[in-house]
Amino acid sequence: MTAVIDKAALDEAAREPRWWQAPPRPVWEDEPSKAGVAGKGIVLAGACLAVLFPLWIVIVTSLSSKKTITEAGGLVLIPKDITFIAYQELLSGGQVTRAAIVSVCVTLAGTLFSMAVSVLAAYGLSRSGSLGHRWLLMTLLATMFFGAGLIPTYLLVQSLGLTDTYLALILPSAVSVFNILVLRAFFMGISPELVDSARIDGAGDWRILWQIIIPLSRAVIAVITLFYAVGYWSAWFNASIYLSDQSMMPLQNVMIQLVQKQEAPVGVSQAIKTGQISALAIQMAVMVMALLPVAVISPFVQKHFKKGMLTGAVKG
Amino acid sequence: MTPNAASASSGPSRRSFLASTAVATAAVAGGMPLLAACGGSDSGSKDGTTAGKNAKKLLPAYVASNVVTPDIPSKNGSAMGFTAKLDLAGLKTSVPKKLGKGGSVKIMSPFWGTPPKGDNAYYKAMNDLIGVDIAWQNQDGNTYDEKLGAVLASSDVPDVVVIPSWNMGGKIPSAIISKFADLGPYLSGDAIKKYPNLAAIPSGAWQYSIFGGKLRGLPQPAPSVVGIVPFYRKDVFDKEGYELPTSPDEFLSLAKEISRPKDKVWACDDMKWSAFNFFGVLSGSEKPLGWNLVDGKMIYRVETEEYLEALEWTRKLYAAGVVHPDAKAVQGTAGDRFTAGQVLMYNDNISSWWGKMAEQAGQNSDFRISGMDIFGADGGDPTLWAGSPAGIFAFVNKKASKAVVEDILAAANVTAAPYGTKEYMLTNYGVEGTHYTVKDGVPTKNDKGNQEVINAYVMLASPAPTIAHPDFPDIAKEQVEWQQRMGAFTKKSTFWGLQITEPARYTNLSNDFEQLEDDTVRGRKKISDVQQAVSDWKKQGGDKLRDWYQKLHDDNGSAQ
Amino acid sequence: MSNSTVPRSRAEAATTEADPRAEAPAGGRPEAKRSGRLSLRLRFRRDRTLILMTLPAVLLVLVFNYVPILGNVVAFQEYDPYVSENGFVAMLESPWVGIEQFERIFADSAFWDAVQNTLVLFSLQLVLFFPIPIVLALLINSVIRPRIRAVSQAILYLPHFFSWVLVITVFQQIFGGAGIIAQTLRRHGYEGFDLMTDPGIFKFLVTAEGVWKDAGWGVIVFLAALASVSPDLYEAAAMDGAGRWRRMWHVTLPALRPVIALLLVLRVGDALTVGFEQILLQRDAVGPGAAEVLDTYVWWNGVRNQDFSYAAAAGLIKGLVSVALVLAANKVAHFMGEQGVYKK
Repeated sequence: MTAVIDKAALDEAAREPRWWQAPPRPVWEDEPSKAGVAGKGIVLAGACLAVLFPLWIVIVTSLSSKKTITEAGGLVLIPKDITFIAYQELLSGGQVTRAAIVSVCVTLAGTLFSMAVSVLAAYGLSRSGSLGHRWLLMTLLATMFFGAGLIPTYLLVQSLGLTDTYLALILPSAVSVFNILVLRAFFMGISPELVDSARIDGAGDWRILWQIIIPLSRAVIAVITLFYAVGYWSAWFNASIYLSDQSMMPLQNVMIQLVQKQEAPVGVSQAIKTGQISALAIQMAVMVMALLPVAVISPFVQKHFKKGMLTGAVKG
Repeated sequence: MTPNAASASSGPSRRSFLASTAVATAAVAGGMPLLAACGGSDSGSKDGTTAGKNAKKLLPAYVASNVVTPDIPSKNGSAMGFTAKLDLAGLKTSVPKKLGKGGSVKIMSPFWGTPPKGDNAYYKAMNDLIGVDIAWQNQDGNTYDEKLGAVLASSDVPDVVVIPSWNMGGKIPSAIISKFADLGPYLSGDAIKKYPNLAAIPSGAWQYSIFGGKLRGLPQPAPSVVGIVPFYRKDVFDKEGYELPTSPDEFLSLAKEISRPKDKVWACDDMKWSAFNFFGVLSGSEKPLGWNLVDGKMIYRVETEEYLEALEWTRKLYAAGVVHPDAKAVQGTAGDRFTAGQVLMYNDNISSWWGKMAEQAGQNSDFRISGMDIFGADGGDPTLWAGSPAGIFAFVNKKASKAVVEDILAAANVTAAPYGTKEYMLTNYGVEGTHYTVKDGVPTKNDKGNQEVINAYVMLASPAPTIAHPDFPDIAKEQVEWQQRMGAFTKKSTFWGLQITEPARYTNLSNDFEQLEDDTVRGRKKISDVQQAVSDWKKQGGDKLRDWYQKLHDDNGSAQ
Repeated sequence: MSNSTVPRSRAEAATTEADPRAEAPAGGRPEAKRSGRLSLRLRFRRDRTLILMTLPAVLLVLVFNYVPILGNVVAFQEYDPYVSENGFVAMLESPWVGIEQFERIFADSAFWDAVQNTLVLFSLQLVLFFPIPIVLALLINSVIRPRIRAVSQAILYLPHFFSWVLVITVFQQIFGGAGIIAQTLRRHGYEGFDLMTDPGIFKFLVTAEGVWKDAGWGVIVFLAALASVSPDLYEAAAMDGAGRWRRMWHVTLPALRPVIALLLVLRVGDALTVGFEQILLQRDAVGPGAAEVLDTYVWWNGVRNQDFSYAAAAGLIKGLVSVALVLAANKVAHFMGEQGVYKK
């Protein structure tokens, strides 16, 4: 084989296949049966349709005028007139923008903090037989099953001086034992020989965690990051209890309030834009906007799911 | 899975819907919250009530307001009605002298919608007029129960806390007694004359603000006429030639005639609350109202024949298939099904009379809502039971200094200004030009008005029940007239008007009946199950509670 | 360490040859099994870094979970948080009633009905819901075209971000008595139907809603596990003549086993939690007879009525049962050769 052919082959391999093309099949893998492919396709398409059909209703309703929604008597199936008034209402007044910044900051800071704490704890607990390992694990585990009432929790947060601060949105919910356990399970699955050999080379726990465990656990770290981020992003109850200043409220709370505003104060505020916007349209628009972050983070997570992607991390 | 997954839910949507209707009513029309059915007053170490001489000593003097004369004066416990065009130039002044001393006051209050920024033009204008720097802590009305429970348990209670009666479940009454100030020294007797708008609040509402033997609440007065109206689509009824029913049987046969499921039309939504009124069942809005002295014996509403008859009749509606399936599933909003024409009759708070008209005016000019007169079980006159004279209260922290209390009362004196005054317009509409404009005598809020002038100051204290819709004067007239006709059939049960705290051990005794009612009318439980539940209820404490109420009555007499 | 064989990462495959599997030299890393022989001081010196790493999480949990959990002493009181200056002081002053609250709960037939509904619903969820994300993950993993993989994954996540209110509204509008299907049937002269108010099928309905909302989201943990399986292992298996199904059985599934075992153990431990908001929102549609589960029971009888002592007692019962269940499930996992949540 000449070098030229080699290079052409490499180019061919490196080129991303178009979406309708299958990437080159490994030589050892047999051709899939037509029926198998069709079956998979049908199941997958069916599952996706089951999601997309309601999503369609949600989007159409969010874009419908109050009149259309009234005529349909609820959610709208077939678009009649398209109006963005619900979205305009959501984005007007500057409250949503400010609240979105709050949410982004809380989510970023919270996720970073939670991940740091959780990865450390998961590694710290990943060697069964280490001193206190079992007690520490049990200490964490018990909190999954025993809850506390709202009043003691509120009194605690208040006596720590955290009410009306953003720390109240992060610290009380910073640790998810479930997430730590999942991380730990993955860490424990990493070959012990690898860790031992690093130790023989004189690496301490910090270096092992940083140079071996984390690079080898990118997929699960991506997943748990996602879990935490989604948790912080969609949380609203803590804010409604611990914050009194409305201008500090994160996005979810403002969204909930916007929905209520359309539903509630028929009398109170002498008909807010009566007859123009349907509460349902606002609610659906809120839903659609809630899906946006997913669209943003999804590719980021996908990146870490490619098969065999962990190889490079070790060699490098 | 996620860190915040454990957070509590938003709770049942039905409840939030009802609560918001109630606040809408209380703020504008005055009215009785439907939802109070779940709440009730109870518990606390100091159970009982204050009536008779003891109450008289505490009550503020009543000085009727003569600043503005209503077009339709109050009669039979109705609200007063205003049907004339709004005359900006002719607005009266009810607070000639600024009473606030410039202190600052923190108020926590439930809020439905997006609260405006704290330093907005409306809050500034109000604070200027009052002379007090009021800072609002507007809390999400749907999680107010939780927030309230937690805040009251801490040692950091705001200067003023607004508590609707539907949030007074469980141990909140005990908190009211232990955490809030006695306003008697500032208001009892002639002291109130310093605040003329507060002095014009009917005495019944003040008496109902006596908690634990002290005058603690600043009330939002409500009309005593039943607040739940059986509404119908007048436009459709006229077009189809349907005749208004005048008895439960006629209602049922009309309902069968109307229902066409194939065309997605059902006769009605859930009519349970109207059924209670048709059959003359004692009020279920607050527990003490459900007790009545009949022939020397104290009875509770669930023990009566009428109660069973009302449930049986409602059950028939469901069984006949004339009730919308979503109502059976308790999903969605009855009012939306009504405006969509999927149901032609539904019951709702009287505030929806105007609310639905205003909402539909822009898109369906044919739409016409009207309330039918409540009929009796046999087609004759109904027997209706009066609702409580106030539904929402503002309480002052007992640690508040004298200066703070006086500033709060100064604020309440402004928010309680009657319709037709400058103070009323500012409280309810904001600043003319900034928040609303007036065209042909009809004030209309602009965007800024809609953002800023929502339920904050109206929660503090309000004038005697008033109905005024400058945009729909006819509706205002119909509403008041309906209240007056129904008011003529309205009786007061034994404990009407008394703020009663039940002994703690009976607090939750009767809570399960509402669920049982809903199960029964939907055919999941039988009338005999209700009878069984009543006999269990008696054994589990109902009879003891009866004795307690009997003694309460012997000791205190009635409110009137 | 883990006696399971997985995940057989590419990393392991790549380093096995290089790793001489050297005996741990004295002073080096002793095997975990031998740790019992070391003195406490030595073990502490060896593991102090690990303990240090665990501390932040443990501290957070001690402060924000354990301190409020101590508030559960009110389960043995008739607690009124408002009798004193604040709720903590009130705990000292509220009267002690022993196990009266527990007796009240156990004497209530509605509680036992709720427990029964909870367990039935949990079993349904375990059988009908739990396996679906695993199957979906295998399915998605077997799709080779990257764009189809990415798009279908992203679509299947979406419902997780819908609120329960919306999910139920959508179900009501499709399967309800005035829903799309029922109305279409009626227009064509058939009888309508109402899936949403039928107590008989309620538990299946709830399970179906759960699957629709969260099955796609549940996939991603398994995908993460599958991402760490080395293609070399498939190749080796193929070389040994293993077909498609045998490769899945001998390579893919073993890679998922520890994760499945962990999630299963945790799910069983949480058996008494079967969805709160979802059920609360639909409770009135079928009545508590069919819909009341433990969490909604506690909400109605404790939280809503501000009966804090009652709610705390119910919470303690639930916690104790959960601990028992998780211990049992973990035992079973060990028996099956899995690690579970913690080691024997």
